[in-house]
Amino acid sequence: MVLRKFLGLLPIAMLIVALGGWGFVFGADDAHAQDDDVLPVTGRLLDEQGQPVAAASIRAFVDGESEPCAEAESQENGTYMLALPRPPEQTLRLEVERYHFESLSYEVEAQEIERGNPRRAFLVPDLIMRRKITAGFWIATISFAVMLLLIALDVLHSTVAALLGVSMVLGATVLGHLIGSDDLLVISMERALSYIDFEVIFLVMGMMIVIGIIEDTGVFQWLAFVSYRVSRGRAWLLVIVLMLITGVASALLDNVTTMLLMAPISLQIAIAMGINPLSFLIPEVLASNIAGISTLIGTPTNILIGSYADISFGDFLSNLTAGAVLALLALIAYVEIVYRKEYQAASGGVSKVLYEKLRQNARIKDPITLRKSLVVFGVMMIFFLLGKNLHTPPDATAMIGATALLIWVEPDVEKMLKAVDWTTLVFFMALFMVVGAIQEVGLISHVAMFLSNLIGQNLLAGLLILIWGGAVFSAVIANIPFTAAMLPVVGFLSRTIAGAGSKVLFYGLSVGSAMGGNGSLIGASANVITAGIAERAGYPITYSRFLKIGAPAMIVTIGAATLWLVFRFFVIG
Amino acid sequence: MGTILCATRGGEASYRTQDRAIEIARERGDKLLFIFVSDINFLSHTSAPVLVDVEGEMENMGEFLLLAAEERARNAGIEAEHVVRQGDFREQLKEAAKEYQVEMVILGRPGKEGSVTKLQMLEELVKEIEQELGIEAVIV
Repeated sequence: MVLRKFLGLLPIAMLIVALGGWGFVFGADDAHAQDDDVLPVTGRLLDEQGQPVAAASIRAFVDGESEPCAEAESQENGTYMLALPRPPEQTLRLEVERYHFESLSYEVEAQEIERGNPRRAFLVPDLIMRRKITAGFWIATISFAVMLLLIALDVLHSTVAALLGVSMVLGATVLGHLIGSDDLLVISMERALSYIDFEVIFLVMGMMIVIGIIEDTGVFQWLAFVSYRVSRGRAWLLVIVLMLITGVASALLDNVTTMLLMAPISLQIAIAMGINPLSFLIPEVLASNIAGISTLIGTPTNILIGSYADISFGDFLSNLTAGAVLALLALIAYVEIVYRKEYQAASGGVSKVLYEKLRQNARIKDPITLRKSLVVFGVMMIFFLLGKNLHTPPDATAMIGATALLIWVEPDVEKMLKAVDWTTLVFFMALFMVVGAIQEVGLISHVAMFLSNLIGQNLLAGLLILIWGGAVFSAVIANIPFTAAMLPVVGFLSRTIAGAGSKVLFYGLSVGSAMGGNGSLIGASANVITAGIAERAGYPITYSRFLKIGAPAMIVTIGAATLWLVFRFFVIG
Repeated sequence: MGTILCATRGGEASYRTQDRAIEIARERGDKLLFIFVSDINFLSHTSAPVLVDVEGEMENMGEFLLLAAEERARNAGIEAEHVVRQGDFREQLKEAAKEYQVEMVILGRPGKEGSVTKLQMLEELVKEIEQELGIEAVIV
């Protein structure tokens, strides 16, 4: 984020340095200036959304000459600098070219350069480049769509699907260079790499190590068992406690990890109580998907959003946690109604043998590691919370916390590093590159313009579209690629809609993309994992069965979260 | 007294299989050996990081489910034990049948909905067990 802010200020800084520097060279030292007739020309290239256009070629022609007298390439921030060997006597013409954009010509009279140029450096007004649809546009769009489809239909592993998407766009670019067709160019490897958000990669990696150590202690299973004992056979009460435990765990860990820990033990408790385990498992996974959005580290989508929009752990807590809690309360009410017959049928009786086995399966396996983990995790929470004040970004906190745990707990390092799911990290990197490709070709700009025209300046309409539209999309396609692709769109809308600077639209995207996962069995990874565990125990969760419970739950809970966001940003302000 | 190997998942859908296995064991005067094969293929359907000792959790769950099955058998007056294995269902079942020198293998008919085990696969497995191991196998 600091880097992004720095890059944002860079154009101004460059202009100041350029003008000041040249002022020093050509203004302060007149004798030196008379020896050198070079005229610096600088400016900035933007697209129609006001975003910088990098890697464009700029050629300068003076006095109608056919050969350019200077050439330059625009930088990441869209700025360029040309050194004209002599000032024009009549006109200066700039020719700007960049694949995916229509060529641009800018001409200025020599008098105008002289007039506004006491320091003998000419600042060209911002030039707006218009996008054009090329073959590369379609290749990138199709690559992205293919990736989404392969993931949604479970044809390929997500990581392989994302890598295929990257290969398609890079392959087209290589071919374009080989046959000399600019139309085929999508994105260069160098540009694609620049789209990888390493804040996300390191935050995810650090948290994987931390979670890998904590999960080994058995604390969540123990909490579930204690809840079972305390509830004394009252299933309606137990399910509330289990949902709350799952919710808290999901806010701190990722949802899949939470369900892998909670589902097996909950299933055993349900059997011990003589009720259908699905009446515990489905509410738990719904709670997991909801509560995950309450913190920065609760879901991968929040990590993406937080990094892109510079939303801190504390920002999520103050702006979204109450919404998640409200949604969770709505879910509890819904679950108690839907499963009331199952909960009433609970027998509560279990044999000594089974009870002992349950207790054994839910014991804390390593109390010393648990204590150490809790201390480190607690310190990490403080740093997450105060990160902005302490100048510690979340990825640094996660990495330092992970290292501290590795040193203090002394787990099997090889085992711990194996616990880092490298395929997931590769998936993220490949995904960033594919999303970068669709940004390069302008697909994101088209979507952003479409939404901008649809929404106009109506912030509330924008929020509702992002929440509910996001929910529908996330119920049918993987929410991580969806969120990654939507970030620049939401970024554009946040810059152009009055009042959206509060980042409310990003919170809307978080709610829609995460809670939308409750709408269908394939809407969230945690759903699929829970269904897998339940099926192995002889309690299959079919698509229709999940839909019957999950879709109404999605509507109820997103409704509650929507109310919160409207209250928080439109009433409180 | 011989041993009958009964593959079961342990859920409600498996009660029918367990009850039938108990009946057969009583008729033959054999003891029952329940087997739960834990496979974690479902993890391949997600790109989310898997940081948990899933195999250990699934093994614990399998132990619990089979203890419940054992209780059902004992309550019906049949001697019963259990074994939890990890890996490919077909291979693990055949290995356990050989290892425990069972005289019969009982498989449960797949449920109406949601079961990943298909009847055709079970029928093929029955043939395999009978041909390769020479052990009687039935689907109940």
